[in-house]
Amino acid sequence: MSTIDPILTSVYARTFKSITDEMSISVQKTTRSPILCEAKDFVTGLYDAKGQMLEQTENLPILAFSLAPVCKYIIEYFEGDINEGDVIFHNDVFSMGNQNNDVAVYRPIFFEGALVAFSAVKGHQADIGGAVAGGYNPNAKEVWQEALRIPPVKIYDKGVFRKDVWDLIFANIRLEIVQHDMRAQMGACTVGERRMLELLGKYGQDSFENHKAALFESTRKMMQAEIAKIPNGSYSGEGKVYFDGHHLGTVFTIRVTVHVKDDAITFDYSETDAQTDGFVNGTYTSSASAAVLTFLQMINPDIPHNEGMVEPIDIIIPEGTILNAAYPKATTFGNHLCPPNADAIIRALAPAIPDRVTAGWNNLLCSLTTGMDDAKGEKYVDIFFMGFKGGSGGMDGTDGYDHIGMIDASGGILDQDYEMFEQQTPHHLQMHEYLTDSAGAGEWRGGLGIETKFTFGSDDTQFVTFGDGDFEPAFGLFGGHDATLNSITLIYPDGAEKVPNNKDLITGVPKGTLYHQFAGGGGGYGDPKRRARDMLRTEVRDGTISEDAARDVYGLDE
Amino acid sequence: MALKIGIDVGGTFTDFFLVGEGASARIHKCLSSPEDPSIAVIQGLEELAAGMEPAMSLEDFAASLETIVHGTTVTTNATLTRTGAKSGLITTKGLRDALEMRRGIREEQYNNRYTNVEPLVPRYLRMGVGGRLDRNGAEIDALDLDNIRAAIETFKTEDVEAVSICFMNAFANPGHERAAAELVRKELPGAYLTVSTDLLPSIRFYERISTTALNSYVGPKLSHYLDQLQARLKDIGFAGVLMVMQSNGGVMSPEVAREQAALTLLSGPAGGPVAGLVYAQAMGQDKCITVDMGGTSFEAALVEGGPVMVNEGEIDRLRIALPMLGIHTIGAGGGSIGWIDAGGLLRMGPQSAGAAPGPVSYGLGGQLPACTDANLVLGYLNPDFFAGGKIKLDVEAARSAIETHIAEPLGLSTLDAAAGMYRIACNNMAQGVREITIKRGSDPREFPLVVAGGAGPIHSCLICNELEIPLQIVPRESSILCAVGMLMGDLKHDFVRTFVSPLADADWSKLAPLIDDMRNDGAKLLAEEGIPEDARTFHVKFDCRYLKQFHEVSFTAASEAVAARDSAGIAAAFHSEHNRLYGYSLEEQDVAVEIINVRVQAVGLTEKPAMTAMEKGGSDATVAIKGRRDVYIPETGEFAEVAVYDGHALTHGHRIEGPAMIEEITTAIFVSASFDCMVDPLGSFVLYAKGREDLIKETV
Repeated sequence: MSTIDPILTSVYARTFKSITDEMSISVQKTTRSPILCEAKDFVTGLYDAKGQMLEQTENLPILAFSLAPVCKYIIEYFEGDINEGDVIFHNDVFSMGNQNNDVAVYRPIFFEGALVAFSAVKGHQADIGGAVAGGYNPNAKEVWQEALRIPPVKIYDKGVFRKDVWDLIFANIRLEIVQHDMRAQMGACTVGERRMLELLGKYGQDSFENHKAALFESTRKMMQAEIAKIPNGSYSGEGKVYFDGHHLGTVFTIRVTVHVKDDAITFDYSETDAQTDGFVNGTYTSSASAAVLTFLQMINPDIPHNEGMVEPIDIIIPEGTILNAAYPKATTFGNHLCPPNADAIIRALAPAIPDRVTAGWNNLLCSLTTGMDDAKGEKYVDIFFMGFKGGSGGMDGTDGYDHIGMIDASGGILDQDYEMFEQQTPHHLQMHEYLTDSAGAGEWRGGLGIETKFTFGSDDTQFVTFGDGDFEPAFGLFGGHDATLNSITLIYPDGAEKVPNNKDLITGVPKGTLYHQFAGGGGGYGDPKRRARDMLRTEVRDGTISEDAARDVYGLDE
Repeated sequence: MALKIGIDVGGTFTDFFLVGEGASARIHKCLSSPEDPSIAVIQGLEELAAGMEPAMSLEDFAASLETIVHGTTVTTNATLTRTGAKSGLITTKGLRDALEMRRGIREEQYNNRYTNVEPLVPRYLRMGVGGRLDRNGAEIDALDLDNIRAAIETFKTEDVEAVSICFMNAFANPGHERAAAELVRKELPGAYLTVSTDLLPSIRFYERISTTALNSYVGPKLSHYLDQLQARLKDIGFAGVLMVMQSNGGVMSPEVAREQAALTLLSGPAGGPVAGLVYAQAMGQDKCITVDMGGTSFEAALVEGGPVMVNEGEIDRLRIALPMLGIHTIGAGGGSIGWIDAGGLLRMGPQSAGAAPGPVSYGLGGQLPACTDANLVLGYLNPDFFAGGKIKLDVEAARSAIETHIAEPLGLSTLDAAAGMYRIACNNMAQGVREITIKRGSDPREFPLVVAGGAGPIHSCLICNELEIPLQIVPRESSILCAVGMLMGDLKHDFVRTFVSPLADADWSKLAPLIDDMRNDGAKLLAEEGIPEDARTFHVKFDCRYLKQFHEVSFTAASEAVAARDSAGIAAAFHSEHNRLYGYSLEEQDVAVEIINVRVQAVGLTEKPAMTAMEKGGSDATVAIKGRRDVYIPETGEFAEVAVYDGHALTHGHRIEGPAMIEEITTAIFVSASFDCMVDPLGSFVLYAKGREDLIKETV
């Protein structure tokens, strides 16, 4: 019968955060795949015995809001057969997983014999079986052409390692580093368990349960207060998806209606287009994460991330739509439907909260090279992070962020270091610079896009593209202008040029081929004629805005 | 009389620590003079001279000074306030924006109002020039000297004061950088010049270009300051040795500091951990955690044998890839403001009331309740004896601010609200200590906590309770610990070379000369600084990783293993360090280990001042009791009346039972109900968990 000590509630909140941060550092420092340790494509979290979120460290937000739903699913699935010493794996997109490659580890935490919490880590694995190494199979139509499905499975059962299960899983995965990386994720869960037990040992389970409830309540109030600042009403917006990987010229529409009623908000995607028959489909949790992370950028960034934060948010995505494909559709591209989903939400809410939305963000157009580094005699795989990161949208009072990358990472994915890139691939970097006039013009301009060039350093390279943003640029708002488009061009040694589709697979790229990529800027906000003149003069001096654009678009006369 | 003095220039105060034959150790503080910090230095020396027994003239005093070690925040402030040199950058064509892009990070992902930091070199002064090396250092394109001449012309027109040169893959071949540097020296003889491979010849382009640009940005300012200081010291007749504190906890000559100014960027708190060890050693311990709580920040560091080093850090979100002490800083200090967030939870800081307007109780216009105000309401501070009585604290104002801003919104009594502020502040600091212990593979319970900073010893008992640390040491010099550390530092010079190779197949015919080169460079610098051969030591470190990992582990290789070219022995040291840091090693799985960098630290041992031991007296401390008052006891959540001791009357051997308060002019110490206290031979207050007298091991 302990009572609520408001001070202790703050201590719990701070400690949960410190634990998930510590788990995150552990994953980052011990994993091998650059997708995990460099790009930080993983999330660490703590959940209570009912699977409710206590806190998360969201390095890549698009995964973040699938961990609690999966935790709840696991609890249901095992019907009480969860025991001390269990470790559970999961990736299945048809039981709340967000993407096949994002494999989660859950570790139940027992205190004095009772299940009190879970620690969990979900990370993007370098391979997950299926037809194509790395998981991006633009030709896939069904999940089995994409990946190994892992519904909830115990890797440790009451502390006993299940070698047979482990071997079954990893017999279906190409790269050995995935085993090391999953061990690293398990290690981080142990770190979380240790710290939670310390905390419970200090205050006891009653105190934990009561203060957790108080924390959820406080966060819920905070979120409700944020929602209440939005005028009541129903707001609709659209975002476009270009090309399903199979039929050139196809376009799909994401339609959202946002209903705001006092302190509750609903994102309703009922009018969204039907699923595609390729891999350009979302899962419920990846699409819902996209909605949450976009909305979080429109409110006080200080809000704690726990169950109370998500409770006032309702998300309706009918099965069979492009954002919630029905079993057994292919879905690997689903996380990358976040940018058009965000576009739809921003366009919907812009009239209601013009001072808190940004203009459109640059969409992702990414490439991946695989081959032999002939000089070293080694295989390599490289996701070309540095090339795809364009600008974010401008907003009232703040320019967009230059070279930040797509909204679902929001600056969380780092460029490779140039010299490490040349050590780890045979390629030779020629250029990686801000692109003049790429930012959507506005009183508050968009973030700058970039231009990148490298030459292929080995023959017979396999080249994959995935993304969008080459048909429609990031949009401007309230008189702000659109930004520039994404593009990738390969210029072969014989001078032939090839522009790959935005989802494509090209083999046999020869040594000496020039890779030339433009990542577009973010959209502008407000009339460019109102942009501060001293800022413009600095930008002209620095060459990020040309003299012509300054004069013709911004009306700078000197 | 041969005196040594450590001088630590901070934002508000300049601290002095004086030791020497024929004089007992003295501490002194005076107000800083931010416009020209050397003014306060001279003024402080004058005050110290006058305070000598018998009083001395400034000239006689200056003449008797053998060594001055000086810590300065000139470079730190220049960076934070963007008042460094107008700088130009010469780099590889096509890559000039790397400096500003910072690898495309936005640290606050959900905050669309969070903007990038202003680059140290504006884009129009970042010049990409032709010339390219491959990953092994072989030339692909010759250096385009015409491009460089054109850059220099622009720099001349624009009155650029400092130039940085950093080329792609130069770590593997500094040839192009040297050729460019030669041209710049010839054409722009007055400019401050930093060449990336002179400062940091290691792989990772962003780290190198950022560090190089920082060095150029702050170099002219530091040079100018050292000129002023040396001139003023010469004027008063100082003829001894002047040394400058570095971020790595060592010291260097002003000549080296002028060239490598970036080495001072995070030197402000570097003295603390160096000094901490001296006090821990007096308790028979070769390790400790040092914490320093000032007005706006809290710094924690781990010392094991020596202060723990890291190979890089950040200032104002800009990367510095130079070896430095692993000091973790959080925004928690006496000025940290308490506030209620939108969800109704109490938070402390990181916003700070600073020195102006300061906490409410200072009566200087502060309206929001700060940590100091809570400490006052809880009885930890004596309103009539703050700074020895120089500043009167207004208890009523503090109480009323806490009532309005914290207690009423939370529905708590004022005292409970103040206690809450205190507990949250302590919890934040305990999390800060976790950063440098648990997160780096060390158990905080095994380390005594050495407590510094005026506000530190009020909070340290609760921090220790959180982390189950049974032993704390509060030195007499607690309020100026960094200045003490300055006299305890050796000359230290760090060198690094990139050598990418599997460790098992390392070609020692190339590796050994690389190590020898660094050793020779170090020996040369130490010789210039007057360090004789028998006082020089060299430590070799490797940065290694398991094949295909991305992050390296830096560890010291035994000198025997290096001499014997024993790759297997070095691998064993790597496995063991990886296991310590991350809880596992892959020694048994036989995963290959890869070398990325090799490092040498050249150390010139300096003569350390001996700390004078006090005579041991009886244990009865009642003579020092100067009163009694009510203070908050966190263990019970109640107020209780405790004895207040005059710290200056306490001497070696005295024992105090907690709970109790000890007051000194610059520090207040709270001994909570879980601790007792004794005074050690150095006069330090040693707080040990009740019943753990076994931890007291006097060694002086």
